[in-house]
Amino acid sequence: MNRSFVTMLAGVAVASFLVAVPASAGVSIRIGPPDAYIATTRPVYYQNRATYRYGNRWHYRDGRGWHTYNTEPRYLRDYRQPERHYYGRR
Amino acid sequence: MRFLGMTGLALVAGFGLSVAAAYAEQKPAPATTHRAAVAEDQAVAELNAHHRHHHHGGIARFIAMSLDTLGVEDAKRAQVEKLHSDLHAQMTPARDAEKNVLTTLADGIAAGSVDKVKVDSAIAALGTGADAQREASLNTINELHAVLSPPERAALVEKVQAHWAVWRQVNQEEAAGRRERGGRLAELTKELSLTPHEVNKISAALPAASAGPRGEFDSKKVEAHVQAFSKAFESDSFDAKSVMSNADADLASHGAARMAHFYETVTPLLTPEQRTKLAEHLRGHADYQSVASGK
Repeated sequence: MNRSFVTMLAGVAVASFLVAVPASAGVSIRIGPPDAYIATTRPVYYQNRATYRYGNRWHYRDGRGWHTYNTEPRYLRDYRQPERHYYGRR
Repeated sequence: MRFLGMTGLALVAGFGLSVAAAYAEQKPAPATTHRAAVAEDQAVAELNAHHRHHHHGGIARFIAMSLDTLGVEDAKRAQVEKLHSDLHAQMTPARDAEKNVLTTLADGIAAGSVDKVKVDSAIAALGTGADAQREASLNTINELHAVLSPPERAALVEKVQAHWAVWRQVNQEEAAGRRERGGRLAELTKELSLTPHEVNKISAALPAASAGPRGEFDSKKVEAHVQAFSKAFESDSFDAKSVMSNADADLASHGAARMAHFYETVTPLLTPEQRTKLAEHLRGHADYQSVASGK
């Protein structure tokens, strides 16, 4: 009984570590920018990833989904004004 | 035993704090605020209108549109622009077929009655053109893969999927009589300054089934094509010929059929002045040229 209790607690501890690591690394997992925004916005490449400024935050995607920088990387500060593409008739 | 209890409490408390810290930044904006912000966005409105009227190149067109905002390194910009231009050139027969659909619709709208047989024939030619352009663009897409870096390839795939999601939203999922901001009817209301009474009449006339009698759309087939391309293009080695899925004709035909159904339905409900204005609107779309097409 005690052994299974300890095993369960160990599992909880490992899970809490895995969840806490992204937060301590300065990123959090969340929903990314809307599709129409990605389709019309030029990304900024930072740390080998396409990064999008949306909702006053920087977002990027990796194999596990969208992430957001909790703290704005210094490099990205110069690119706060996103470059958009307009498909209006001409 | 008491030690175990204390340890357990400490770990559970630690877990709770960790989860709270990790997700403190994750709370999304309220959905309504988010939607309103997107609807306000001019670039998004223009993209939606574009995807409602242009379907000619299938997935290759999504790739070409993705290059509009890919933002590659300066050193390879000229090379990518050349490939971008080539892609548009390879889609020319399909684009001309689409232009024929749009001008046929515009002529019918201006005359007060759309010739459905003529439109269906034009749509069939568009489907054939979309299917044929695939073969023509394979080498260009291979060259594009060779030029782009892995992050640029991943970004392009992300954009292709985004264009497909937007296209699907405005050409399949959106209810035909939907009046909300950003919808096709709202776009028409704005373009023609329709009165609420006219909007009510049009909304009632547009059936929920959007493509009308022209058949069901198999979005899973397009999804399979997009996913097959995405997976292959993100790999280090890529050959466009190995992407066996091909839904280009389905995509082009369904998009054009839905567009035609909308305009065929609204035409008899418009005044002659509104029809003239709407016909001009469609001719404007027919004459649309991408910057990258070089024309």
